[in-house]
Amino acid sequence: MRALIVDDSRAMRKIVGRILVDAGYEVLEAGDGQEALDVLNSLDGDLPDLACVDWNMPVMDGLTFITEVRKQTEWRAITLMMVTTESEQDRIVRALAAGAHEYLIKPFTGDALVEKLDLLGLTATTVGDLA
Amino acid sequence: MSIGHEAFTFVRELVRAESAIVLEPGKEYLVESRLVPLARQGGHATVDAFVADLASRRNPSAMRLVVEALTTNETSWFRDTDPFTALRQTVFPTLAKTRSNREIRVWAAACSSGQEPYSILMTAQDTPEISGWKIDMLATDLSQEMLDRARKGEYSQLEVNRGLPATTLVRHFERVGLGWRISPALAAQVQFRQLNLVRPFPPMGKFDVVFLRNVLIYFDLATKRDILRRVRQVMAPDGHLFLGAAEMTMGVDDAWERVPAGRSSVYRIREEQRTCVP
Amino acid sequence: MTINSGPDHALVHAAIEQVWGSMLFEAAEPWPADVPADFETGLQAHIEIRGGWNGRLVLTCDSVVATQIAAALLGMGPDEQVDELDVHDAVGEVLNVVGGSVKGAIGGAMTLGLPGIRASASPPTSEESLVVSWRGAPVHVQIVPDAAKAS
Repeated sequence: MRALIVDDSRAMRKIVGRILVDAGYEVLEAGDGQEALDVLNSLDGDLPDLACVDWNMPVMDGLTFITEVRKQTEWRAITLMMVTTESEQDRIVRALAAGAHEYLIKPFTGDALVEKLDLLGLTATTVGDLA
Repeated sequence: MSIGHEAFTFVRELVRAESAIVLEPGKEYLVESRLVPLARQGGHATVDAFVADLASRRNPSAMRLVVEALTTNETSWFRDTDPFTALRQTVFPTLAKTRSNREIRVWAAACSSGQEPYSILMTAQDTPEISGWKIDMLATDLSQEMLDRARKGEYSQLEVNRGLPATTLVRHFERVGLGWRISPALAAQVQFRQLNLVRPFPPMGKFDVVFLRNVLIYFDLATKRDILRRVRQVMAPDGHLFLGAAEMTMGVDDAWERVPAGRSSVYRIREEQRTCVP
Repeated sequence: MTINSGPDHALVHAAIEQVWGSMLFEAAEPWPADVPADFETGLQAHIEIRGGWNGRLVLTCDSVVATQIAAALLGMGPDEQVDELDVHDAVGEVLNVVGGSVKGAIGGAMTLGLPGIRASASPPTSEESLVVSWRGAPVHVQIVPDAAKAS
């Protein structure tokens, strides 16, 4: 399993990355929405299973990024999860409407992130069995 | 800092006496971590000092707080996922075929801060076979503090992050301050009552579904057997019992049989035992 | 549009407790009123909230405290070096999460800015600050409405 972490905070990328690596993921990183789109384009179709996306970022925010990803039919297989401190009800509704599959609010504990992976059916229990 | 043998023994005995829950050696860390906040509140530098003070004064309200701190469980929404899938895909549809009064009675027997009964109700709402049915939900716990929290239905941001799908969060909760509150419509469907599983149950009728998850593990064998026997008495003959993933009835109370339900399993009273309830 | 009352010290303190408790595994005890909340060379993080209430949250602490906060957030041991970029980023992110929690609690259509960081020569005067204790050292958090000016 592979995940793209999109967050302007390198500390947050490291924290989320550590939890995902522990859950059996290989991790890619981007510091904003535009950089994340560039990463996806550079992968030549070898897409991540999951993207964890912050909302407030410079250059391109997470909501715009999710909207852009959803426009590309060839990127449909990527599961999108907002990981953000934006916590109002209408924000969650907007993100889901734009195409996010799940929404995790900061602050969160490691267990909460892993439980979200369970909900999404993205628990990477057997690493490499598809290789 | 780690809790001393004397303090651990005192707490283990206190908890066993009050709740029949057995804290085996090796649970020192649990005791330590649950009691640190109480020790701090009481102005004690260490858990050992706090327990020594408690042991010498035997203040009943402080002792009750200690028991409560050690008998509550960390709870997630839809904890372990599979039992709730089984409820939606197997148990509720089965009951839908036989309950002509369109009512299902559910008992969450160790409801803690309320995530389990509310998760059961949300699952019932997502089960088309029982759409519009009445769910008569009783939720009980040993801890009055937990029952008050559950009744209030307010959860921190950290708590709603635990296992709750985002669509469910926006559908059944609203923001209050830094946290979230369960919808009044859902909260009104649950009857919360204090109940000690070790003592004889009060009159409460028969249940179609009982959740008794991750609580038997704390009891010794004789108490486990006694609880399971008494649960049989408040169970509809064709009712469904859910236990924690690490718990089983085999060798404890063999009047129950384990029945697979999706990726989970439920316990049902054996056919031959259904007519002769003791 | 609704006009919201701004955040108060109790709300901001509760948000800090939640963030420290879950991300840094530290309590955020109130700073004792009779102890001077001073430090030598500080770091200041700020984040803007716009909408029904307009203003910003400003966090000021000693640079040693800032480094400890970064190490705690990143889960680094006492022997590991945290570089300046990591410290600025971590303190900014901690305030970002506090700011988001506070904004969500106020309610209404609001937006959160991106955190900013700068060096700060001296602590703000404690009358206008919420001061919490980080391992026995003071951390100042100010709620600064647009009309007012941060020290």
